[in-house]
Amino acid sequence: MPEVPWIIKYRPKRVAEVVDQDEAKNEFIAWLNKWLVGKPDKKAALLHGPPGCGKTSLVEAAAREYKLELIEMNASDFRRKEDINRIAKVAATKASLFSRGKIILLDEVDGISATADKGALDAILDLINVTRHPIVLTANDPWDPKLKTLRENCKLIGFKRLPKKTVISVLRMICQREGLICEYAALDYIAERAEGDLRSAINDLQAVAATTKKITLDAVKAVVYSRYREYNPFEMLRKLFTSKYIWQAKSILSSSNLDYDMMMQWIAENLPNQYSDPEELWRAYEALARADQYMGRIIKTQSWDLLAYAMDMAAAVAVAQKKPTYKFVKYNFPQKIMLLAKTKEVREVRDALAKIIASHLHISSATAKSEVIPYLKVIFESNPKYAARIALGLNLTESMIKYLAGNRFKEVLNYLKKYRGTGGSTHRRSK
Amino acid sequence: MSVEAELLWAEKYRPKTLDEMVNQEEIVSRLKQFVKTKNMPHCLFAGPPGTGKTTAAHCLARDLYGPEYHRWFLELNASDARGIEVIRTTVKEFARSIVPGPVPFKIIVLDEADNMTADAQQALRRLMEMYTSTCRFILIANYPSKIIEPIQSRTAFFRFTPLKPEDIIARLKWIAEQENVKYDEEAIKTIYEVSEGDLRRAINILQAASALGGRVTVEAVYKVIGRAHPKEIREMIRLALSGKFMEARNKLREVMINYGLSGLDVVKQIHREIFSSDMKLPEDLRVLIADYAGEVQFRLVEGADDEIQLSAFLARLALLGKKFRV
Repeated sequence: MPEVPWIIKYRPKRVAEVVDQDEAKNEFIAWLNKWLVGKPDKKAALLHGPPGCGKTSLVEAAAREYKLELIEMNASDFRRKEDINRIAKVAATKASLFSRGKIILLDEVDGISATADKGALDAILDLINVTRHPIVLTANDPWDPKLKTLRENCKLIGFKRLPKKTVISVLRMICQREGLICEYAALDYIAERAEGDLRSAINDLQAVAATTKKITLDAVKAVVYSRYREYNPFEMLRKLFTSKYIWQAKSILSSSNLDYDMMMQWIAENLPNQYSDPEELWRAYEALARADQYMGRIIKTQSWDLLAYAMDMAAAVAVAQKKPTYKFVKYNFPQKIMLLAKTKEVREVRDALAKIIASHLHISSATAKSEVIPYLKVIFESNPKYAARIALGLNLTESMIKYLAGNRFKEVLNYLKKYRGTGGSTHRRSK
Repeated sequence: MSVEAELLWAEKYRPKTLDEMVNQEEIVSRLKQFVKTKNMPHCLFAGPPGTGKTTAAHCLARDLYGPEYHRWFLELNASDARGIEVIRTTVKEFARSIVPGPVPFKIIVLDEADNMTADAQQALRRLMEMYTSTCRFILIANYPSKIIEPIQSRTAFFRFTPLKPEDIIARLKWIAEQENVKYDEEAIKTIYEVSEGDLRRAINILQAASALGGRVTVEAVYKVIGRAHPKEIREMIRLALSGKFMEARNKLREVMINYGLSGLDVVKQIHREIFSSDMKLPEDLRVLIADYAGEVQFRLVEGADDEIQLSAFLARLALLGKKFRV
């Protein structure tokens, strides 16, 4: 039952639906039109602006409106030489089969590492040289020195940060379409903390809507905390798993208000929600298990200087995916904690029982639990009369008998009463 | 009709004196020597579970001090007594009080000593030296190699060997006769086989099988084993291998939280399961899983949270399952 992320469901279908950014829209459409009728002065456009202001949405809407095939590549794909070559070949030669033309979109080029993926930037430049189709790059920060050459070969189109009222109006439209009841204050709160990032605002709204159909200020505050404050667990996870770099993931963990143990529990609980691919899941767990080992050493030796390594490995769960993909994930409160709370009484009874057995048999409680209690359960569940004699001998409490005998508990108890009534002799330990 | 209260047979038929111990002859004769001279060194008893290590310590004490030996005898389990601090205070208090007795020293037994960290063992070593005039330590361990060298060199070493099949079988038959329990010859043999040389486990199985009512048959034995060893572990492995990670993790929580199994118990049971003939697995996959089980067991000792380590194991199983298409 995975829900479609609203940022996909409500992405603009036409250029006119892209909110605000009139200047950028005009520039982009003019550049695109030049491509369609002949030769543009620059073969590539670099759309730049803060996150979630509509860069990718504009390209997608334009492609749809002009019936162009959109070929998308993500920052991490640039590392793979064969992918670049494949795209380059498409870009340079063949006409599109299904539509008039193509747009090649390279998202988030500022995510390319200048050192690790040096070849990637050169490959993009080659691509721009040979292309017969429009190439669009996007970046948050076009003034990054590593993008200098790229910048010189592209038409720069700037996007503004979206004003709060624009963000609110989009949120309200979505609420209407989703049949949600919403308070203005709630939307205002979401928009305020989104700081012009419409994508994160829509994500926040969907996260709140996953818990309630009434979008009140309180409901919002329970799910999303202000960016200036510490992250709450749900927000921590969402930010953690959308981090592209380890340093981002680490800074998110360090601004969480959870203690380290709880933080590990929250991450562990939600890894399988985040990763469905077995290899990704295993990589994430492997990283978390390493973090847990460091935590263990820290606890045993009190060497808190190891904490940095534990956090590195915990942050590494964010980069376990093979390809960065965005999907909306509903995160859970750690079920283990809930289960422990729910079973507290039973576990206490079991631990007390294990202690009694341990002292009788001179073994540890752990051995009593794994080696003796299972057999004792067999006896109590199948032979109430005999079980009652053992209960007498070991001086077991009613709750222990209940734990051992399950639904034959009453039978054991009845025999026990009878025995106690006849003054059955009890074994006394020699101690 | 007066009703006799019953105990676990593992306690009821535990030998009380060295003379009653039916095996480990060489060890018993060395211990009897201590009784004769009324003196003994610090000792290290090592060997597999259920081979009589703890029993031997109790028998020795009883032979030295008589039936009231508990006045001069302190028993601690390193797995239960949390941290060396608890051990230190308990030992200190026990050693300080002077109780005139038949021999001029008291005995402190530290069971599962191989579960102590190296640091805790160092502290224990100092403790042994500090109280050497008034106390003798008996350390008990499954794996003597996990006991630090300085302690090994200060103790007399006793290696408990796995019990011989005929010894276990004879003991089970003897107990059955004391209890007036009818049994099939084959059933006793089966108990021996499934108990892997662990007499305590063998006696537990016998008692549970006889409690089913009637004769102890091979069938009864398997019924006990089947019920005492929950299927959850096997199901958990199957679920993980078929890629149902969430369900597998729920099973894991079930066995750890509801049955109270430790992470170590779970790994050991997984290890046992993957080599069982009921699990139809390619041989090379068995080996890969076993190898990873060993790694996880090591990590459990170091880690802080058993569930995280075991979930990583399940994630690994899911990945291997996909690769091997099981």
